[in-house]
Amino acid sequence: MSETTHNRINADTLHDGSSGTYLPVKGTVTTMATVTYDKASRIYPGTERPAVDQLDLHIEDGEFLVLVGPSGCGKSTSLRMLAGLEDVNGGRILIGDKDVTHIQPKDRDIAMVFQNYALYPHMTVADNMGFALKIAGTPKADIRARVEEAAKILDLTEYLDRKPKALSGGQRQRVAMGRAIVRQPQVFLMDEPLSNLDAKLRVQTRTQIASLQRRLGVTTVYVTHDQTEALTMGDRIAVLKDGLLQQVGTPRDMYDTPANVFVAGFIGSPAMNLGTFKVNGGFAEVGPARIPVSRAAIAALGAEDNGKITLGFRPESLDVVSQAEASAFPVEVNIVEELGSDAFVYGTLKGSLADADVHSGAGDNQVIVRIDPRNVPAKGERIFVAIRPGEEHLFGAGSGLRLPA
Amino acid sequence: MTAVATSPSRATARRSTDNGGALAKAGPMTYVVAYLLVGLCLAPIAYIIIGGFRTNAQITESPSGLPAPWVVSNYVDVLTSSIFWQQVGNSLVAGIATTLGVVVLGVMVSYVIARYRFRGSNAMYSLFAAGLMFPMTVAITPLYILVRDLGLANSLGGIILPQIAFALPTTVIILVPFLRAIPKELEEAAAIDGAGRLGFFFRMVVPLSVPGVVTVGILAFVASWNSYMLPLFILNHESMYTLPLGVQAFASQYSVDTARVLAFTSLSMIPALIFFSLFERRIVGGLTGAVKG
Repeated sequence: MSETTHNRINADTLHDGSSGTYLPVKGTVTTMATVTYDKASRIYPGTERPAVDQLDLHIEDGEFLVLVGPSGCGKSTSLRMLAGLEDVNGGRILIGDKDVTHIQPKDRDIAMVFQNYALYPHMTVADNMGFALKIAGTPKADIRARVEEAAKILDLTEYLDRKPKALSGGQRQRVAMGRAIVRQPQVFLMDEPLSNLDAKLRVQTRTQIASLQRRLGVTTVYVTHDQTEALTMGDRIAVLKDGLLQQVGTPRDMYDTPANVFVAGFIGSPAMNLGTFKVNGGFAEVGPARIPVSRAAIAALGAEDNGKITLGFRPESLDVVSQAEASAFPVEVNIVEELGSDAFVYGTLKGSLADADVHSGAGDNQVIVRIDPRNVPAKGERIFVAIRPGEEHLFGAGSGLRLPA
Repeated sequence: MTAVATSPSRATARRSTDNGGALAKAGPMTYVVAYLLVGLCLAPIAYIIIGGFRTNAQITESPSGLPAPWVVSNYVDVLTSSIFWQQVGNSLVAGIATTLGVVVLGVMVSYVIARYRFRGSNAMYSLFAAGLMFPMTVAITPLYILVRDLGLANSLGGIILPQIAFALPTTVIILVPFLRAIPKELEEAAAIDGAGRLGFFFRMVVPLSVPGVVTVGILAFVASWNSYMLPLFILNHESMYTLPLGVQAFASQYSVDTARVLAFTSLSMIPALIFFSLFERRIVGGLTGAVKG
């Protein structure tokens, strides 16, 4: 206990240096709260395959990094390793310059927001938010001031004396945020904090969290399975699959230049259409259409690709054209989804596609096309579409890796 | 907000009366059976209590009649006798000490079994559960020898210690699932907030397990209050007797004075009755309620 108190006092003097403001304002924090995963691995006892496999990731001070991937990809495990709730079986994790690999969670100077908020049911909102400070032995008046400051930011002032039971889902979520803010930690960790909210509130809270993070300037690691959340909130996104890091980059990078087929299919909504086609004389054969493939891309094809190429094209990269164009291929409309601002055709690729293996977010043998919502084709109609030049993505059919354009 | 909150509940309330009308309405037979069973349970107690207000002459004349006239002298005699209060005191001391011991030890044991992962934790849980199937009757002779060798014969300590031991199985069985239901995230959140395992125990587990603790505490107290066999073996001086023993001794001492025995008996069971009816709701709550996050 005395050890903890000692640590907290140090941290407090550091933060309270900015007289008056109890919350860290961007730029006033003197330490560099970077986070570094250095070949960090986690192997659960009794399993062969690592849940997180040699993760190398560097997060800058003040950055909002989103870890995203399908369930079971190791994103939550990675976060929990950083929190100290999960053992690290290999490699290191650093916060700033400090190796925290084997340090207790409480000594890492982090705060975490849990998916189900994990509010202490027998404490009032104010006590929940001030709990960490109370344990650390901060004077009561300071705790009160910091809790009130955070409550003001999060619009919780009138609920400070309530128990979590008497709050709505959104309010509980804000209390969980408040509990993290009050501690003024070096790093915020958030484990799917929005997934227990209803759709509308989720969108609202998404922007609130993102703007709050920008305002506080605290390094944040955010875990989600929702690629929309990842794209809208993150400064950078790290995509994981089966414990392996697939790609790290800005939302724009991920959308424009996905490093492999998995990232291409994962990022973007509706998902990218992906099809594997034969390459013949510098052209990919998509049914009747012949899509030019660059020399560099063909040169980069390896033996495992077997002369085939995976062509990715987003629904929004397709134009409805006339049958006469060389690069046009036919799509038979199955259903049309109208969203007002957009309309999407879910259709089947037609033509001689014996070897083709086409799939999209809608399922196998389906392609999704964004069309003009004012000019919607009928069900069963056949439309001709072409990929806008330069907006196609090329991957090796075997390796799944991106090919140079 | 309130409108939103109330309207669904009103809707469900109405629906339940609509649908459940046929089901909810009990036939006259139900009441007959119910009152019959309640009467069967209450009649002996009522007989004892009311019997205390009669004289022995009245009881011999008409064993099942009402007091005519009502006599309070039996109760006054018992209430003014020092031995009754001495025995109430003994029962209280034994009951409270047992309850405290059971609660403190029970919560500690249950916390470890429920939330620490160690080899043999399941075996330990089974061991405590097996204690339920171990009747005190079987153990009474070795237990007596053990208590005597500890030098606790004819002292309240000699009944408190075994009572704690025999109440622990129930306590552990009730508290372990209760403590297991505390979400893992709560422990993790507390760990990040700086509470160690002990901090988590005192700041989270103890306050959150209050309903369960109240349940096991009451069960232990009532069991101790009503315990007869153990005091019978351990205690051999009237000044050390607990109430059940006192009733027995009193009954054999005043075997002809039935009315006075009835008064003594009712006075000795009333505290436990009041206690139980006051906390009955909380007992059920502790058995069914888990921790809500």
